[in-house]
Amino acid sequence: MAAIIEIQNVTKEFKTLNRHEGLKGSLKDLFSRDYKIVRAVDNVSMSIEQGEIVGYLGPNGAGKSTTIKMMTGVLEPTSGEILVGGNAPYKNRSKNAQEIGVVFGQRTQLWWALPLIESFRLLKDIYQIPDKDYNEMLELYKSLVDIEPLLHKPVRQMSLGQRTLSDILAAFLHNPKIVFLDEPTIGLDVSMKAKIRTLIHELNRQKNTTVILTTHDMGDVDALCRRIVIIDKGKMLYDNDIEHLKGFFGSYRTLKIRVDGDMNAEAEVIKTEVPDFKVSSDDEWISILVDEDKSKVLDVLGLLQKSHKIRDMQLEEISTEDVIKKIYEEGVQ
Amino acid sequence: MNLKKYLTFTRAGIIEALQFRLSFVVMVAGNLLYLIVVYFLWKAIYASSGTDIVNGMTFTDTLIYLVLATALFNFMEMYTVWEMGRNIQSGKIVLDLLKPMEYRNLLFWSYSGGFVTQFLLTFLPTFIAVSIVTHGAIHLGINILYFIISVVMAIVINYNIDFLVGTVCLYTESIWGINIMKQVVVLLLSGATVPIAFFPDTLKTVVYWLPFQSIYNAPLSILLDAEAEPKAVFTTLGIQLVWCIVMTVLSKAFWKTSLRQITVNGG
Repeated sequence: MAAIIEIQNVTKEFKTLNRHEGLKGSLKDLFSRDYKIVRAVDNVSMSIEQGEIVGYLGPNGAGKSTTIKMMTGVLEPTSGEILVGGNAPYKNRSKNAQEIGVVFGQRTQLWWALPLIESFRLLKDIYQIPDKDYNEMLELYKSLVDIEPLLHKPVRQMSLGQRTLSDILAAFLHNPKIVFLDEPTIGLDVSMKAKIRTLIHELNRQKNTTVILTTHDMGDVDALCRRIVIIDKGKMLYDNDIEHLKGFFGSYRTLKIRVDGDMNAEAEVIKTEVPDFKVSSDDEWISILVDEDKSKVLDVLGLLQKSHKIRDMQLEEISTEDVIKKIYEEGVQ
Repeated sequence: MNLKKYLTFTRAGIIEALQFRLSFVVMVAGNLLYLIVVYFLWKAIYASSGTDIVNGMTFTDTLIYLVLATALFNFMEMYTVWEMGRNIQSGKIVLDLLKPMEYRNLLFWSYSGGFVTQFLLTFLPTFIAVSIVTHGAIHLGINILYFIISVVMAIVINYNIDFLVGTVCLYTESIWGINIMKQVVVLLLSGATVPIAFFPDTLKTVVYWLPFQSIYNAPLSILLDAEAEPKAVFTTLGIQLVWCIVMTVLSKAFWKTSLRQITVNGG
């Protein structure tokens, strides 16, 4: 299959004013020519195929939004090339707009004062969606979520969850080839998150829409993404399957135990007993991050049992969250 | 050009405006208060001048002019600068830029529904009321047609000035000061607060060469000056047309270069 998004050695630099502090500094800034160049995205390349759901991850300020803005055509890359559906998005923004849908977390593209159905009708005319396609899409929506009560409700009266849901539906309405979702589940409750994940998953499956998802919620990633791309300080750290990621740092598992006596003191002792592994403790559990390539969890447990009275234990698989956290903090070796 | 794509905004705008019933009541009440102030102010001016006719206008002439100017202002003022500034600050502008439509058009047509409702709900009633109260001081004839043409061009000029000023927000990222300045300049130099006939001669000449008088003074003088020769009317319309074109080209070009600046340097 041909790639729908092709990014090659893209770099984006911003020129920002060096701000000075205080009143005097602010006055100075008025006339200052003291600019510094910030490299928000640094030599990033990737290729995304039609129908993929790609998790685009990175800490705050890593350059995610900048990359997405370049893909949508709002920003022009300083160097490198971006092709979306074979076109350079910034050169022909209006044409590109027809092929993409966007949801930017906090902001809504819906008409605030109007019932949702009116926003849909507007979008139908703006994107010139044929009646047949529009009706089919609405039918599909109705089969996926309970949309009926939302349709006639003014957007300003909706809860955040309902609004996000509506925004996602609006982004898919003109059946774009690509949908960019920027933190779609931010601030939502558990059940709404699950609903939205199912919705995105189904729309992707039925319409073969490419989805680029940025999020800080690893639940989203686990539920939706087969492939993830991690970026930090503008540089690409990782681009591969999610399964591959888990094996990336060796086979880690977390052993949690509860022992008799003062937990913190016991933890200190355990640290000396298993110097190879990371030990941490809170009031309830002592956690040991075991690298199974070095020794088996059961061996560690056996060792600890000799010197401590273990009351309770838990075994945790390392979660995507832990891996991502590790990558953010330490990078990929 | 697919007209339906744009008219859908008009439709939505009308529905949107009708959602806020109370704001109409408040607006009408506010205008009434303003007109009372205007009435007494100009009454005092005429009383102190000692003559019935000041600068070629009777008290009734002035009052009709100002009442209609206020009504016209209510339906032509679009708060474009405000809206653009807010969208730029909040970043919502990104979503608008990602519509398959030029931002200038999108914004203009978003307001078009407002024009229709405001025209029907504030300007038309005021106009009818004034005609009845003044016992036909307003000549009803071909001048109405010219007036409508003139108003359409005035809207275009006004929008483009607004858009031009709004574009400045891309650089300044602040709205308030710019908006206030624009409003004062436009309202004064367009003849919306004081009829241009009252301006000193030098200022009159300056104003004559500026686009602002095409917004309020031009349509109102066409409407109210019953004895105007066709030549004078067409000159006014011609000047408006020139300003329409000049302002459209200017605002379009400025927006385009500014946007390019933004996409290159980020914002």
